[in-house]
Amino acid sequence: MKQNSKDILDIKIVTHKDGKDKVVEFQYRKSSINEKTMALDVLLQAQDTILPNLAFRYGCRARNCGVCTIDINNLPRIACRSVVRNGDVLKAMNTLPVLSDLVVKRDNISRQLRGKLKTNTTKNDLNVEAPKEYHELTACIECYACLEKCPMHEKNSDDLKPNYEKEYKWGNPFTLLKLQTVILDPLTSKDDVKCSINSAIDFGLETCLDCPGCKCGVGIDLKGKVIKPLVEKSGLLK
Amino acid sequence: MNVEWKKYDVLVIGSGGAGSHAAHAASNKGASVLVVSKDPLGVSDTKISEGLATVRESGSNDDSVETLSENIKMAGADLSIESLTNAFSQDSKLAYDKYRENGLRPTISLKSQTPKPLPLPLGGHTRRRTVGHNNSGIAFAHANWNAIVSKGEINYKEDCWIIDIIVDKKTVIGAVAYDAQKGIILAIQCPSVIIAAGGLSTIYFPKTDTLRGNTGDSYALAVRAGADMVDMEQIQFLPFCLTSPPSYEGLLAGEPVTASFLGVLRDKNKNIILDSVFLRTRAQCSEAIMKSVEKGNGTINGGAFLDMSANKRAPKSGPYFMEYLKTSLPSAYNNVRQALSKPASQCDELWEVRPGAHYMMGGLRVNEFGASVAGELYGKVDLGVSGLFAAGQSMGGLFGANRLGSTSLTEGAVFGLRSGEAAAKNSIYNPLKLQSNDKFLKKISEIDNILVTKGKYSSSSIKKDIQKACWKNLGPIRDKKRLNKMRKLIELWKKKIKNIRIEDTLIWNQSFIEYIEVKNMIDTAEIMLFAAEERNGSIGGHVRIDCKNISMFSKPYSTVVNINNDKSFNVKRVYRNRTPLKRMLFYKLEEIKRLLEAKTIRFLPLSIKDKILEKKYKNIMENNDEMSSIYPGSPEAAIGEKTTL
Repeated sequence: MKQNSKDILDIKIVTHKDGKDKVVEFQYRKSSINEKTMALDVLLQAQDTILPNLAFRYGCRARNCGVCTIDINNLPRIACRSVVRNGDVLKAMNTLPVLSDLVVKRDNISRQLRGKLKTNTTKNDLNVEAPKEYHELTACIECYACLEKCPMHEKNSDDLKPNYEKEYKWGNPFTLLKLQTVILDPLTSKDDVKCSINSAIDFGLETCLDCPGCKCGVGIDLKGKVIKPLVEKSGLLK
Repeated sequence: MNVEWKKYDVLVIGSGGAGSHAAHAASNKGASVLVVSKDPLGVSDTKISEGLATVRESGSNDDSVETLSENIKMAGADLSIESLTNAFSQDSKLAYDKYRENGLRPTISLKSQTPKPLPLPLGGHTRRRTVGHNNSGIAFAHANWNAIVSKGEINYKEDCWIIDIIVDKKTVIGAVAYDAQKGIILAIQCPSVIIAAGGLSTIYFPKTDTLRGNTGDSYALAVRAGADMVDMEQIQFLPFCLTSPPSYEGLLAGEPVTASFLGVLRDKNKNIILDSVFLRTRAQCSEAIMKSVEKGNGTINGGAFLDMSANKRAPKSGPYFMEYLKTSLPSAYNNVRQALSKPASQCDELWEVRPGAHYMMGGLRVNEFGASVAGELYGKVDLGVSGLFAAGQSMGGLFGANRLGSTSLTEGAVFGLRSGEAAAKNSIYNPLKLQSNDKFLKKISEIDNILVTKGKYSSSSIKKDIQKACWKNLGPIRDKKRLNKMRKLIELWKKKIKNIRIEDTLIWNQSFIEYIEVKNMIDTAEIMLFAAEERNGSIGGHVRIDCKNISMFSKPYSTVVNINNDKSFNVKRVYRNRTPLKRMLFYKLEEIKRLLEAKTIRFLPLSIKDKILEKKYKNIMENNDEMSSIYPGSPEAAIGEKTTL
């Protein structure tokens, strides 16, 4: 079939093996002209045809599991629910170290919070409702789209090599969101609230003062519901 | 590949609902714990579930351990093991509280001061006891994540594939894994291993609503370690999955209960194939659809039509119904809204639906502490693999032939906690006394041989073949011919993976990862095949079209599959106790009564019907608080779709 045919999409997939990037031009065949093609559909078809060993993460295909985040034209997108167009470039996220093709190493982020997240409550009465804001934050699917252009996370850039079992010194919107969730939980003790605010300061909350704000992959108001209340509580504004 | 040696008290495979609770419990008992997960931490079927949990006594005071236990057993066609259903029912509140201790916050009912249950009992539950949550399974995933990360004492590795559990004289001595981040082999020495690696639905594609990673790892690892596997022919299919467009294929559209009072299933000629859908179990709905497809009355994409228009048409109760539909399973309704047309999502048009592989009822044969057992009847621990445990979807014997809605999240926590404690105890009382590393070295040299294979087949293409063949021959419709076909195919795949092509990369070697998963898929398909051949009748989630239905009066049996020394499989039957006839008749009569009542309503004149239903909806939806406005899946919440559409 000809390149300009309506049921073909020309997509560039940037593969990455042994430290080297390579641009692969891929012609995606639509099942019908009206098909709304998602980035994940393209990756799956590429794996089925010309790139049998293409490495990428995916899970639920319904924007719930949060693992298929990639960069489309240099911006983080959740691949299973992001429509692609002719000429789009699919690449690994630029904010985390690449392991292979479109797979990045994610666990340095969670390791940051080891032992610092005070979620273990052993209060007797668990029948307490959390405020609305709490549930707005637990909508986070941990897609890490929020790392994009985060000046706090960028401070780790010396560390953005795939170092094994190493945690990042500086935080990011996700880390702060987890801390703010603990603060909003009515079952958290006053001491643990203080502890969480101090952790946020240690992770570099100060950086947020000069930052226009972060963007969430699933629409959580990070600036209003995470950064603002943390900054207010931290006393950094004084 | 380089080898790194590690020593722990307890190894947990998987970091979902079962794995995280197991790790937490074992760590609390003082054990050193390693959690190994191939997907990122907490990314499991729990995370993508509807977030419904069974909590005993949450909806009424007359609920009890006995009632819940009996509900499970009746739904499971008497294949469920009583000690397991009792453990589940006993611990369901405690396990739910563990979730809450790690940050799960439900809505609290003002009246009873308990977590607030859904308005209607899910099909097969005789009490209201299902608690729903803001953000569905994602809220549970946060709690699981917290359970592993918070304390800082639990070690974990993502991007790590367990290749095999190492066993010496029927006793666990550790496991060997591929650490894809580092590009090395891990040799983990430990006296206890908990398998919590989820199900197998990915051996069917695209007909599943669950995670990609469900390649049957749990079952393949267990059977190769020498464990007994029980009820492995029993796969649950969710009846109402979407059939199109491609990106939404297999995703959940609704549950029987969301079809509400007037929902019916129709074939391609618009004839009713099942009425009173809201009272039916998942298995009954799937069976009705697949039987109609088999008769040639299936829709274009091989399913049936779910017709809820009668609910919508009633002038007074209609708006209540729409509210009920939207709020009961918000993420399922969202799938529908995005995938189907506007009139369809408003229920004015029919929904084309088809069963999707959802949950494996069978699994590792265990006792009430999740420990591997073998032998006759309910099995004995001293005959099983010592030090081997399973929790969650990996284990079998709890749900028998069919699982009730909302029980799986509870199951993961209940048996995660139980197996975690038991494994920690085992490690303390039976520490490793390794004479040599021979068994590990043998496995490592096998792996080295595979890594240099330069054959002609790619594992990912074999994967596709398996997925298609399993749906066709080992899916909801089965007969002798299909099973024979399956046997031939399995032999073919076994030959093919000996002639596989593996790349030379060390870090994240995709071809090696695919190989590990394909091998697990083939072994799992073979266990299922042996079990399916032994089960010569229709029971639970599948239909044997060449056999009669298994009578409810016959002696119930479970299938048990294990592996011989020469790597061939064995299958046998173990018998179960039948529920006393009187109780069974009672259940049957109750069911008939409910169905009759539903039918009567359906045939009443519209105005009277409307009035009755309005009252019913008002009753069930009273005080139904507003759900959170942001949840993943909503178009407002998606920066991806907003900018590219």
